Amino acid sequence: MVCIRKATTDDLLAMQTCNHLCLPENFHMKYYLYHILSWPQLLYVAEDNNGHIVGYVLAKVEEESNVCHGHITSLAVLRTHRKLGLATKLMNAAQNAMVQVFGAEYVSLHVRKSNRAAFNLYAETLGYKIHDVKAKYYADGEDAYDMRKKLKGKQIHHHNDHGRHGHGHAHAIGGGCCSSAEAKVSGKKETKAT
Amino acid sequence: MGASLPPKEANLFKLIVKSYETKQYKKGLKAADSILKKFPEHGETLAMKGLTLNCMDRKPEAYELVRQGLKNDLKSHVCWHVYGLLYRSDREYREAIKCYRNALRIDPDNIEILRDLSLLQAQMRDLTGFVETRQQLLSLKPNHRMNWIGFAVAHHLTSNASKAVEILEAYEGTLEDDYPPDNERCEHGEMLLYKISLLEECGFLERALEELRKKESKIVEKLAYKEQEASLLLKLGRLEEGEKLHRALLFMNPDNYRYYEGLQKCVGLYSEKSQFSPDEIDRLDILYKSLEQQYQASSAVKRIPLDFLQGDRFLEAAENYIRPLLTKGVPSLFSDLSPLYDHPGKADILEQLMLKLEHSIRTTSRYPGRVEKEPPSTLMWALFLLAQHYDRRGQYDVALSKIDEAIEHTPTVIDLYSVKSRILKHAGDLAAAAALADEARGMDLADRYINSDCVKRMLQADQVALAEKTAVLFTKDGDQHNNLHDMQCMWYELASGESYFRQGDLGRALKKFLAVEKHYADITEDQFDFHSYCLRKMTLRAYVEMLRFQDRLHSHAYFHKAAAGAIRCYLKLYDSPPKSTTEEDDDMSKMPASQKKKLRQKQRKAEARAKKEAEEKHEESSAAGASKPGKRHIKPVDPDPHGEKLLQIEDPLQEATKYLKLLQKNSPNSLETQLLSFELNMRKQKILLAFQAVKQLLKLDAEHPDSHRCLIKFFHKARSMAAPVTDTEKLIWSVLEAERPTISQLHEKSLIKGNEIFLERHKDSLMHRAAAAEMLYVLEPDRKSEAIRLIEESSNNMVAKKGALGPVGEWKLKDCITVHKLLGTVLNDEEAALRWKLRCAECFPYSTYFEGRCSSVVPNSAYNQIRKKSENGSANHSEGGETRDSVASNGRLEAFKGLTI
Repeated sequence: MVCIRKATTDDLLAMQTCNHLCLPENFHMKYYLYHILSWPQLLYVAEDNNGHIVGYVLAKVEEESNVCHGHITSLAVLRTHRKLGLATKLMNAAQNAMVQVFGAEYVSLHVRKSNRAAFNLYAETLGYKIHDVKAKYYADGEDAYDMRKKLKGKQIHHHNDHGRHGHGHAHAIGGGCCSSAEAKVSGKKETKAT
Repeated sequence: MGASLPPKEANLFKLIVKSYETKQYKKGLKAADSILKKFPEHGETLAMKGLTLNCMDRKPEAYELVRQGLKNDLKSHVCWHVYGLLYRSDREYREAIKCYRNALRIDPDNIEILRDLSLLQAQMRDLTGFVETRQQLLSLKPNHRMNWIGFAVAHHLTSNASKAVEILEAYEGTLEDDYPPDNERCEHGEMLLYKISLLEECGFLERALEELRKKESKIVEKLAYKEQEASLLLKLGRLEEGEKLHRALLFMNPDNYRYYEGLQKCVGLYSEKSQFSPDEIDRLDILYKSLEQQYQASSAVKRIPLDFLQGDRFLEAAENYIRPLLTKGVPSLFSDLSPLYDHPGKADILEQLMLKLEHSIRTTSRYPGRVEKEPPSTLMWALFLLAQHYDRRGQYDVALSKIDEAIEHTPTVIDLYSVKSRILKHAGDLAAAAALADEARGMDLADRYINSDCVKRMLQADQVALAEKTAVLFTKDGDQHNNLHDMQCMWYELASGESYFRQGDLGRALKKFLAVEKHYADITEDQFDFHSYCLRKMTLRAYVEMLRFQDRLHSHAYFHKAAAGAIRCYLKLYDSPPKSTTEEDDDMSKMPASQKKKLRQKQRKAEARAKKEAEEKHEESSAAGASKPGKRHIKPVDPDPHGEKLLQIEDPLQEATKYLKLLQKNSPNSLETQLLSFELNMRKQKILLAFQAVKQLLKLDAEHPDSHRCLIKFFHKARSMAAPVTDTEKLIWSVLEAERPTISQLHEKSLIKGNEIFLERHKDSLMHRAAAAEMLYVLEPDRKSEAIRLIEESSNNMVAKKGALGPVGEWKLKDCITVHKLLGTVLNDEEAALRWKLRCAECFPYSTYFEGRCSSVVPNSAYNQIRKKSENGSANHSEGGETRDSVASNGRLEAFKGLTI
């Protein structure tokens, strides 16, 4: 039905289009490049039978603080491809790589307070907890939940959760598309690549 | 640096450099000024002052000072380096490289300059130079990891992967056995994976596998390790091991199609075109049945068999596949099945199956042979699936009746409206499609996807102003009203450009197309910072992949569309240049005085209003900027928001040539590229280049109607040229003389005969007939009525379809519109065009273009009747319904206005 695989540079333009179609928080191509050239293990796409990118996850690792942790920069699935559990599969793939490759202890993300569908996915299906509320985090003044999920910590062997969650129940509850993104930077953020 | 200065000033000079590096420009400026007080001619200080000013947005002064400094001290590598940095900041890389080279002539071993030079060489793909510079850096500083890696990558980029491997192994030789320390494990692992991928690229497969396994404990990313191992095993033909490993990969991710493909290859059941013998199909079937047991949550494992199964077994598998997805209500089911429509016979089987399921649920609320009742929503999803099926088959009336029934069944499901909108679009009612999409949008205002879908439909219906108003509901970014352009939202810019083009607003169209072109230039530019970053981060596989992606960036579909769009604009601009002011006055002079006065007043008022609006906007934004000191950059006001200045270009063909060159370089195998090349070069009188385009067209698709058109037009034009006089003309003439016999279509045939043969070969195809008719008229204008008859005698043959509910003609709406325009413009026969229109209105009853009886332009169409009934209630942004901009003032929209909910 839909192929879940690691993203390559060739997918980035399609990922950007997918992001434009689904989410209000957008980024310059350079920000996508920054991600794939820093943490190539943490970008995944969902590709349908016609070769179209219908979902993606863009994630990174914060190495500066003393606790290494992952962060979901952006996650989107086209509305037309709901109810396939794609968001769950993409998130699991990125989270697994965070643990396996970087030994991340937890993963964080931001989500709009009003985005119930996404919130339910994170809280119920994926086990995220509200860590903090960031007032007026988004450009339009909306607050964000700062959510976190503890990961398994450093380990050598690759365990994978794929398929254990069944088919995205979270989507069935809310519908709509699940999203999280660093709205504040909205792609204007300079990459740290200089 | 600053060597010629006394100690106090020398220290000040160091301060300037330090301030520049730490971005304390004011401090640097002060230091520079106090040196210059004593030594006003000091070259390096002048140069550094210039460089500092460059960072303070004082560019003209910067260039002046740097040049002055250099003039005063031509022997200083600092001055040359600074000059290079200045050019680099303006993306003038070629000039910058020259400056660095001059600096290195004076100070050949300057590490900093060498490093800067290497970055530019990577950016400009001066790969030979890159290898040299990297070699120099390595020999100067062999204890730096980055220099080893850089040298290796440089060799890899010059297609010398084996040399790159040698360098990396030499580098490994410098490391201790217990390398790496914990904090460098990731980087080192990446380096090893890069090296192994290089070995694979060289074809040293055994060595690659051996190295991979030997270094297993040092490779951090286990997934990449396994994928690399699987790829090597497969290439080495070690299929048993490969099979095991692919199964292990599937265990990790049973939704990755590539792993299934690899597994099939390992067990000898792979075919690129999915063509299998009956025996192979049996074995595949068994394989996937066992995989399905293992990976119950995987949807891939259930879907793949539909690709290889045939006949009754396909039917059975399809039924098992479709049933649970209908029950669950998966909206993408049709799009998932749609590739099967290209397999012979499967569409018919699917149609039968869908109808069977629909009938069973409708009459018994159950699937055939089942005891359990289906939930009521299953019927709706079955109708939803059928609607899309009939849409795909071109049976729009059936498709609409299915989707209408689904909507009646459950009026709250947004997807139904989106699909109905798409069907209407395909059927030719663009305004109704946009209205439907807007209705869907209104059902969930927080969902950008349905907003985007709606915007797309509005643009297709040429409601640009309304589309923009709708799109910006999601693009507010602080004080910025519309950040679609800033955020590189290219699909929107392209769709909007195309709409403006259709409406003849070339300025705005160009503006949008060139905006997309600019995004691509920016993306090329984006790579600059990563040349050094990736060598440090060691993400070398991703880096090289990125460079290759950049090398083919301009072959991407969006760029192609933008460049082609821009070229079309320039061609149109050349064919009908905008009226100069004197001509406009001429037009006005023909008007009665009172009307003239009114018009002038109107123009003045409009100008004043626009000016006032622009000023208000500007004030707003600067006020907002001032209140937020954090935001340093105030966006400069676009001096040409509507692209009017773009139209005042002196030589549109020259501009078009720029973009054509990019297309020729990056998508030479596209028919469109060659067509545009033909059109452009014919206008430029570049006969041989136009001929080259004709030859390419024939090579790509000799039977295409447009290839035929170009061929005939070309030789017709060549024939009508005056006898050659100059040497060049004679040369061209002789080339054509020599080449013509090599073209089989015209070999020993006249153009007229060639055209007849083409017609004979394709007499059942509308578009080929139209091309032949047009060429007949071009060659022999007095046979115009015969040409028109050729078109009118085309018949819309029914496509034979087993089991289809209603017959469908093979004509495509888009083609029929093209033919209508051909009749009205080139053949210039209004009556024939009208006859054609009436005929097409019958074939395409939903088409607004042909004013079909079911389309929204007809006030009493069934569509409008329904719309009127449901007018009250639904949410809509009613103020958006009025399009103030007259760009959308075509009759279709006017007729539709009353209907907006």
